[in-house]
Amino acid sequence: MIVLRSMWRRSEGKFALVVLGLWLFVALVSLFWTPQPLLATDGYHVWAKPSAAHWLGTDGTGADVLSWLMAGSRTNLLIVVLTVLFAGAFGLLLVAAMVARKSALAGASVVVIDALISIPTVLLALILAVPLGASITVIVVACGFGYGLNLARVARPAALLAARSSYVESALAAGASGWWTFVRHIVPNTLPVLLVQLSLSAGTAVLAESGLTYLGIGVPSGVPSWGHSLATSVKFINVYPLTVLWPGLIVTIVVVALNVFGDVLRDAADPLSNPELRRS
Amino acid sequence: MSDNNGAHGQSGATTDSSLEGRAKTQKNGPKWWLGAVIGVIVAIAIIVGVNLAKPNAGAQGGNPSTVETGGNAADIVTIGLKLAPTNLDIRNTSGSALDQVLIGNVYEGLVARDGNNQVVPSIAKSWEESKDGLTYTFHLNDNMTFSNGDALTAEDVAWSINQLIKNQYHDADSLSMVKSVAADDDKNTVTITLKTANSNLLWTLTGRPGLVFDKDATYDAKTEAIGSGPYTVAKFVANDSITLKANPRYWGSHKAKTATVVVKYLADDNAAVNALKSGDVQVLAPITENLAEPFTSDSEHYTVKAGDDTDKYVMAFNSKGKNTSDKRVRQAIRYAINHEELIASRGGADKALGGPIPSLDPGYEDLTGLYPHDEAKAKALMQEAGYSTDKPLKLTLTYANIYGTELGDQLRSQLAKIGIDLKVNVVEFSTWLQDVYTNKDYDISLVDHNESHDFYQWADPTYYYNYDNKEVQRLYAQAIAATSDDQRDELLAKAAKIVSEDAPADWLFNYRVTTAWANGVSGFPVNLNQTLLPLYNVTYTK
Amino acid sequence: MRFIVRRLLLFVAALFGVSVVVFAALRILPGDVASVMAGLNSPASRVEALREQFGLNRPLVVQYADWAEGLLRGDFGTSILTGRSVTSLIAARASITFPLIVLGLLVAIMIGVPLGVAATLARSDAARTAFHVAGLIGGAIPALWGGLLLILLFARGTGLIGLFPSQGFPLDGWAAPGQAVWSLILPALTVGIIVGASLMRYTRSALGDIAGSGRIDMAMACGMTRAQAVTGVGLRLAMPQLVSVIGLTFAEMITGVMVIENLFALPGIGSGLVTDVGNRDLIAVQSELFMLAAFFLLVGLIVDLLHRALDPRLATAADATEVIA
Repeated sequence: MIVLRSMWRRSEGKFALVVLGLWLFVALVSLFWTPQPLLATDGYHVWAKPSAAHWLGTDGTGADVLSWLMAGSRTNLLIVVLTVLFAGAFGLLLVAAMVARKSALAGASVVVIDALISIPTVLLALILAVPLGASITVIVVACGFGYGLNLARVARPAALLAARSSYVESALAAGASGWWTFVRHIVPNTLPVLLVQLSLSAGTAVLAESGLTYLGIGVPSGVPSWGHSLATSVKFINVYPLTVLWPGLIVTIVVVALNVFGDVLRDAADPLSNPELRRS
Repeated sequence: MSDNNGAHGQSGATTDSSLEGRAKTQKNGPKWWLGAVIGVIVAIAIIVGVNLAKPNAGAQGGNPSTVETGGNAADIVTIGLKLAPTNLDIRNTSGSALDQVLIGNVYEGLVARDGNNQVVPSIAKSWEESKDGLTYTFHLNDNMTFSNGDALTAEDVAWSINQLIKNQYHDADSLSMVKSVAADDDKNTVTITLKTANSNLLWTLTGRPGLVFDKDATYDAKTEAIGSGPYTVAKFVANDSITLKANPRYWGSHKAKTATVVVKYLADDNAAVNALKSGDVQVLAPITENLAEPFTSDSEHYTVKAGDDTDKYVMAFNSKGKNTSDKRVRQAIRYAINHEELIASRGGADKALGGPIPSLDPGYEDLTGLYPHDEAKAKALMQEAGYSTDKPLKLTLTYANIYGTELGDQLRSQLAKIGIDLKVNVVEFSTWLQDVYTNKDYDISLVDHNESHDFYQWADPTYYYNYDNKEVQRLYAQAIAATSDDQRDELLAKAAKIVSEDAPADWLFNYRVTTAWANGVSGFPVNLNQTLLPLYNVTYTK
Repeated sequence: MRFIVRRLLLFVAALFGVSVVVFAALRILPGDVASVMAGLNSPASRVEALREQFGLNRPLVVQYADWAEGLLRGDFGTSILTGRSVTSLIAARASITFPLIVLGLLVAIMIGVPLGVAATLARSDAARTAFHVAGLIGGAIPALWGGLLLILLFARGTGLIGLFPSQGFPLDGWAAPGQAVWSLILPALTVGIIVGASLMRYTRSALGDIAGSGRIDMAMACGMTRAQAVTGVGLRLAMPQLVSVIGLTFAEMITGVMVIENLFALPGIGSGLVTDVGNRDLIAVQSELFMLAAFFLLVGLIVDLLHRALDPRLATAADATEVIA
């Protein structure tokens, strides 16, 4: 709560919270209500201009663009949450390996991560898409894997510092298990880095969704998502340039908000830079 | 970066390189900045300069590769097509892209077909058919040559067809009724003898089975092509372009009017439209009807025209499927589909089609009245079958991604109203081939059957439709054995009507290809141009 | 030395791992190239004959061994569908993709580094905010959308100011260098602006860290102006870190590049790969994926080695893992 309040106090934080809050809200609302039913197509009014019935016009099937974008926010939210969870879990697992007391494991994992990190997400997605076809799984696994590696690499110094600290030593000496110590003492120390990296990952996941969906290996057809809206309107950009504006704009704003969110959250959640946390 | 280089360039001069480096950067600091700014300014200046120069270039013809001399025809015409061939091996590789660009341009058949899908002379100048329909004698033209200089003789013709049958090249099965092909070099004739009469033989020979290859030439058929047509392949870039040059040794009356025709494959619809707009191509076939608006409204510079074709968007219901074997379900779907709306959403050029035979094929009859759009009737049929909007029937539609996602979304929406929960599965074409075509593992499939004379699909119970109707099979066999065209057409029409009534599929529409070209282009075929595109007549005068 | 040897061994092991993964992934696919070649209306016997002809019926281990042995000899196999050697196929496509990446990177560096420096130098709050916001937005634009906006603005035929061709590569390829470069400008700008924005942020934060460490102040105490200190001393010190970032960016750029190639209809590696996967041209796809993965592993290797060479502090450390701790 204190964290949120101090975030809200900064104008950047306000922006990020408003955008992300709106995103959550719209995703929730779209579960119950969209201006037009998602399935309502109208072949006689395709690519219609914005009107009272269709605030953002219609797409190539005559379906309401706004409704699809609203429903899309749900899919994107799902993708982002899953990706962040995957990346976080995978990343922490790698961190655990890297600060392990077995030096062979620690050394090997450092080097393996260094090698794997140079494989681009899209390549992984392409390989995954070969057996799986276009699916949300492809996005989540490919992005989660790549971002997890990144996370591990960035979080390692802080984790290592904590792992060699006296309190971890004493915890271990007192008979605490390795995993317990890791979760209780080391993870909290990497939290600031973790939060920033995860919110950056969230932003990148939104971007990756649009790219992969355009390439035909992301969200399958018929499932609303921002990438889907962008990709379908791309085909008609020459004749109906307006429709392409909205999904791109939404993605850009949300990604900015996610990136800002990470920065602000770090400052707000770090007792060193946020005096309010120390007071409580 | 650049200050680093600057420092390095001089570093030999003094001994104290670190001091030197600092001294350098001190002077370089601002300059480095200036350099960047100047760079940007120069870039902008170049851009503006080029932009100013552009109108002049435009006045000269826009396309730098188009050489023009006072209103005469251009030496080069660039044509934008959509589906690219992956290689040039027309004997082994399927796909109408190869037929489109090679037949009639590079390779010639024993006979050819015109824009109305009728058989016309080509390598053979005339032919006779025996009374019983079992023997065809083709009289060949004289003094024919291949592009490599070899003479084209009756021997080559017979060899080509025999090789096709022997090696089972693509489409070989359509000549399964052929008993023998014999050449008579003295009389300059080729005789084809059949086991059973076949009213489709001549038409079949206008396609791949009738193509004539050079018996004596050896070349890599995947990247080269040696034929007898008005053009030769000068350059082939897989998935990208083919450059055709007039064949200087061409023997016949279809002499190329334009020296070089470049065929550019533009898979992306926007790319295609941009290319036509910017003058990179002069013709675009096909252009998505919905994207043609800027050209239709600019009739001063462009012409847009839809041509007739044999493309049938066949939405097949697996006749042996778990739920689709129920005729009521199949009929309900046919009543539920609003064809007029589908066609309108695509721009309105396509034609409604009520049965398996399109207007350019023998046996055509307007069958659109059999299943008019009638939601109430569809609902009643579904009710009878035990489904409603509250208790919907789950079906999966599988189709290839090349047809776009819109059709699936629209069908899902239309079928939802009558109590069908349609799951749309858009896959790679190869996956469709495997799952639907080969394994017949599907509920509903959608594919553009662009072949002509392809009614046999409905008479073959092993085809992926799983459609098995003995009466249809009997009628089709009779039609094939018919010795007069009228008799054949009548039998086919009868069979087609039975098929349509059985509702093993819905024919969404007869896709008509829209072609757009810059005014000044003439001689570009509009009908059937996705499978048959003779280019010899094409010219471009600005 | 130990580090280098270990790094190289790892590189080789990773290559082997990638080759197995790629091969295995492609065999789970439904559909095969033989049925694509045979197409509609072909009897099953024909598909079978084609499969036999291309050796698709052999046991997987034999197929893998065959392919891997070819890789070792530098022979990437022959595309079943096009009949061309995969090496020449990739070479032709790379001749478009790599210039595009390099041009994009140049644009990114031209935008990112100066702006990053300017952002560090900026005194007024307004200017700082402006740089900050520009960086944030630039990095948040989806490549697809960025490309579309540039097309709407600058493409010949469709744009407000018709300047550049937006579709395809000239037929003559690099034989017409002017046209070739011209057709790469919009795509390179798209890639460059997006990457440039994140490069700007990295430059700024790297310079900020260095300034925080007091080295800039020290240089200023030696008589430099702030601008001189930042560009001269700061950038030099930030170099190893920036090289690392650029190297990694290089790998991440390929996502954008694939989208951009498709959008601008450039027959490069990215768009080629998407087509080949669709056609189930297994030999081509597996070799292409392997080549790409190998390339990025190589970039990673080079960046690591370069980073060490540029940062003398790392070289003196006995083990790379000790340094960060």
